[in-house]
Amino acid sequence: MKAKNGSMVAYDGEMAFKKLSGGGEGIRGMVTRRITGEQMTVMEVKGHGTCWFADRASEINLVGLQGDKLYVESSNFLAADAGLRTGTSFTGARGASQGNGLFTTTVEGHGQVAIMSDGPAVVLRVSAQYPLTVDPGAYVAHQGNLRQSFQSGVTFRTLLGEGGGEAFQIRFEGDGLVYVQPSERNTIAGDV
Amino acid sequence: MSTVHHDPATLPADDNVNPYTFCVELKGSQWFLQKGKMIAYYGTIDFNGIGHGRLDRLVRTSFHSPLHASDWVVAEGSGKMLLADRAFDVNSYDLEDGNLTIRSGNLLAFQPSLALKQSIVPGFLTLIGTGKFVAASNGPVVFMEPPIRVDPQALVGWADCPSPCHHYDHGYMTGLLGGLRAMTGLGGASGEEHQFEFVGAGTVLLQSSEALMPEQATGVTPQQAGVPGGGASGAPGGRSGVPGLPGQLGDLQRRFGL
Repeated sequence: MKAKNGSMVAYDGEMAFKKLSGGGEGIRGMVTRRITGEQMTVMEVKGHGTCWFADRASEINLVGLQGDKLYVESSNFLAADAGLRTGTSFTGARGASQGNGLFTTTVEGHGQVAIMSDGPAVVLRVSAQYPLTVDPGAYVAHQGNLRQSFQSGVTFRTLLGEGGGEAFQIRFEGDGLVYVQPSERNTIAGDV
Repeated sequence: MSTVHHDPATLPADDNVNPYTFCVELKGSQWFLQKGKMIAYYGTIDFNGIGHGRLDRLVRTSFHSPLHASDWVVAEGSGKMLLADRAFDVNSYDLEDGNLTIRSGNLLAFQPSLALKQSIVPGFLTLIGTGKFVAASNGPVVFMEPPIRVDPQALVGWADCPSPCHHYDHGYMTGLLGGLRAMTGLGGASGEEHQFEFVGAGTVLLQSSEALMPEQATGVTPQQAGVPGGGASGAPGGRSGVPGLPGQLGDLQRRFGL
């Protein structure tokens, strides 16, 4: 399987760890990641036995994928089954508002992915009649067929220091799941 | 841990989703919340700064710390809204025609049926009336009955009982040696020589850790004689858990007759 570099805390059985340059996505993936700034150092873990992964005592959430695509910030990615393909995709203004850059990591295929969050993530279902709005600082990942749009509530009041406190929001429409954490990263939107 | 997928039908109304996330149901109603504590919502909800003109009446009836207003917003609309605060434990509490004083950094949100006022105790806020509020704490909250002495760092708030006073372990504090010990920390400071003391009928809320949550500004009180924290003179009465540096110095000086 693939895991974030240095995230192994213990294992039993036989294991071999090998750094995968460029996220194991080949030369093209490597170049894309370098250009997009969505850098992610992963290692390949091979062998049999049990391997434990952890990172700074963050909460870990398991996501099962059945042929669909998970979009996750590379900083929240911990480990994935080897059968899953990882890549990068463009996120547009949402990424900019989170301070995480304009690109995000995608994981595709069949298998399990472990993602990290600050506090246990809440999984929210989005369907046609229930669109969801999320604070960029609390967003961790999403999967399924979702359209995201960026909402800005910046008005002249914000400039006067009388803003609504939630000036930037991401709106998800369509059909899928969104993972949010009970904490907000520091974002440029955080204090507006 | 199996993952539960929430949607508006399965999310609880005005209850916890997990120990760190609270869900508020709005049906055309309003809630006050601290800026930036909303993490997600379903439905149509507007967030407006307290200074918003339309909210003037609401602010007049239930918001009484004028200079603290810029940290708060009013959520208005219909739908379900999730609140969380830096992955701290959150809980809701019901007040029935009561009053509760809480550390300013711990209060997350409250219903406008409650009135928020600055407490006379600096750094604390008082809620008066009937309604629900949401507060964060570092570790689950424990409820205690007075008479009780509590560690300053563990105190979250108190309800219905008179204001606390400082308590110092007497044997430790008296005499020249005691003074020296308190000043230098030499000779075994247990770190528990100073407590807050509560007496009378009521409830004291404690958090199960001594890590304080970062304090929120409560706004300045009018600069008037007799207003704690409002006077221009520097720090009247050491207000926090450090066994008072300025106070102690005075004590020692007095002991030496300086």
